[in-house]
Amino acid sequence: MSRQKLEQLGLDLPLFPTTSVGSFPKPDYLVKARADFNKQKIPQARLEELERQATAFWIETQEKLGIDVLVDGEQYRGDMVAYFAERMPGFTEGGLVRSYGNRYYHKPIITEEVQWPGPVTVDWWKFAQSLTKKPVKGMLTGAYTIMDWSFNEHYSDRRATALALAQVIRKEVEALVAAGCKIIQIDEPALSVRPEELPIAIEAMDATTAGLGAYFITHACYGAFEYIYPGMLDLAVDNFDLEMSNSDLHMLELFRSHPFTKDISFGVVDVHTHVLEDQDAVRRRIEQALSILPKDQIWVDPDCGLKTRTVDEAIDKLRLCVAAAKAFRN
Amino acid sequence: MSTASPGLYLSSTGSYPRVGDTHELQLLRRTMAALDRGERTTADVLDAENEMTRRAIADQVKAGLDVITDGQIRWYDPISHFASKLENVRIKGLMRFFDTNFYFRQPVVHGALLRCGPLVVNEYSFARNALGHLPTPQDKAGKLSMKPVITGPYTLAKCSLSEPSGNGSGESAAALEARALAYSQALAAEISALAQTGAELIQVDEPAAIKYQGDWDIFERALALLVAARDKIVGAGRRLELAVYFYFRDCSPLYEKILELPVDIIGLDFTYNPQLADRIAAEGSPKPLALGLVDARNTRLEDPEVLAWQVERLLPKIKGERAYLGPSAGLEYLPRDRAFAKLALLNKVREVMKGVKGAAS
Repeated sequence: MSRQKLEQLGLDLPLFPTTSVGSFPKPDYLVKARADFNKQKIPQARLEELERQATAFWIETQEKLGIDVLVDGEQYRGDMVAYFAERMPGFTEGGLVRSYGNRYYHKPIITEEVQWPGPVTVDWWKFAQSLTKKPVKGMLTGAYTIMDWSFNEHYSDRRATALALAQVIRKEVEALVAAGCKIIQIDEPALSVRPEELPIAIEAMDATTAGLGAYFITHACYGAFEYIYPGMLDLAVDNFDLEMSNSDLHMLELFRSHPFTKDISFGVVDVHTHVLEDQDAVRRRIEQALSILPKDQIWVDPDCGLKTRTVDEAIDKLRLCVAAAKAFRN
Repeated sequence: MSTASPGLYLSSTGSYPRVGDTHELQLLRRTMAALDRGERTTADVLDAENEMTRRAIADQVKAGLDVITDGQIRWYDPISHFASKLENVRIKGLMRFFDTNFYFRQPVVHGALLRCGPLVVNEYSFARNALGHLPTPQDKAGKLSMKPVITGPYTLAKCSLSEPSGNGSGESAAALEARALAYSQALAAEISALAQTGAELIQVDEPAAIKYQGDWDIFERALALLVAARDKIVGAGRRLELAVYFYFRDCSPLYEKILELPVDIIGLDFTYNPQLADRIAAEGSPKPLALGLVDARNTRLEDPEVLAWQVERLLPKIKGERAYLGPSAGLEYLPRDRAFAKLALLNKVREVMKGVKGAAS
């Protein structure tokens, strides 16, 4: 079904298409530039120049590695929610809160009605796509996750917040589609945090994607999927990008009990370890996937964004994904 | 001091933000980053933790709280902070902590869980000492108490894995219970040690017990070991109360069962179901309650008059007319300035109840 959709969109992808979840590590010069920019030592134009340089590096790297569906690597982003909140009227930057260990982020606060400010990601997508003939994914954060990862001082409740945000994100989706983007990933890592709210997440995704002409992927990770499966399959997307390796492929047991009816971007390498898996381990993971899922439903990628790894580690992990996928194609 | 007398006490629910937005409030963050770069030592991190713990305690005193915690400044997370100090545990990858956007390191138990030293006793001793060195507001002299917090055995067990056979959702109830009882044995020893050090009220956090309701019997059996430890201490003539806190979910479906637990105080999160307060106002509580009426997960500041009305209607229905007003959970999910505002709100509620003019503004 979804492969037909890809073909209708003019996308000719091999079996086991390879892709990435979204973020790549920022090269040292960009890390320094971002710090300098925050200290007002360099102008925004210089920072953007270096962000484009880093984006071009990652596009070239993915092409060299032989990845099929590329991402821009999110070199211009910090946090996946704050990035949008900083650009959308209605949000105020909140103070720092902890994510884990010694990592903190500015959690946004919704203080007024949220509005779409015009295209937020489209220029970056156009730039990345201009560097390659391979399809580049449009990368957005879903309304439910933005709601869940923001404080809310304006809307009456969580559902009202999610649905209001869905209308805003939909406009960004429409702008990407209008620009020619055919594969759009709308990340919902908060999808499973409150199983009783799955209907809200589904309603919000439907409001975001219904009737729009693109192949939609959603990424979710580090959740208790056993509480939302198979209901989560009602999410209005074509492909679920799931963290599988970090949880020792436990989700496959769920797929045994109820067929997985969408395409899956199957995470075959753990992104939270410096250790590079050996090829056999990755091969076994794909074999296990194939024991339950039809081969034309499976995409191959890392568990999650690679931004917490070093550049070299990220490249090594991507290389492993590509090698494994190619081995199975043959 | 004891908070066992009737009345409304203002209480912390545990954690407090480790960093703020100013340079001085980022001391711990900077020091840990410098440690990672090899530019500082673990002794430097300890100093930074000490300093930020003192500041967390000072904020609570300044806000007017009666029952104070150390803010859990030293905790990497509520799970690995305990598990990593026990024998035969290794720490695995990150997992989401309930419905928060905060991640904990998942423990893997690969042998007999053994407590070979204090878990939070030293932290509690430091915090008591730090509180003692703070200038105390005139009306609070001798009235402030330091409350140690531990993560309960069932929550620790549910957030852990066992090797070789346990694998989270797929493991047997017997394996989960064995792990919960093993954690409980370690925590029972910790409770005894905390009491020896002077703790008279210990908070036991069990958010998992209301999320995984089918495991209630396992939760109760694990809790029983902590209750037995308390009974032994009380039997020896010491004063000790156990408060079990439930949060991150609506506890209404289990309210009757919760009240039957053989503990002294029950802590409840009121933010997931507005009807919970109505129910308690109607049915009452045979135990003192910790009223988590202030939302620890959202920056929107509640109206102190509304909170005062809630407390005024609930307090007469609670046994001994003893209650602890506080945030619905630990405050580390909020930015530091908002966390302090939530604490300051607690005192405003009390002032509204006392009829202090302008308290609600």
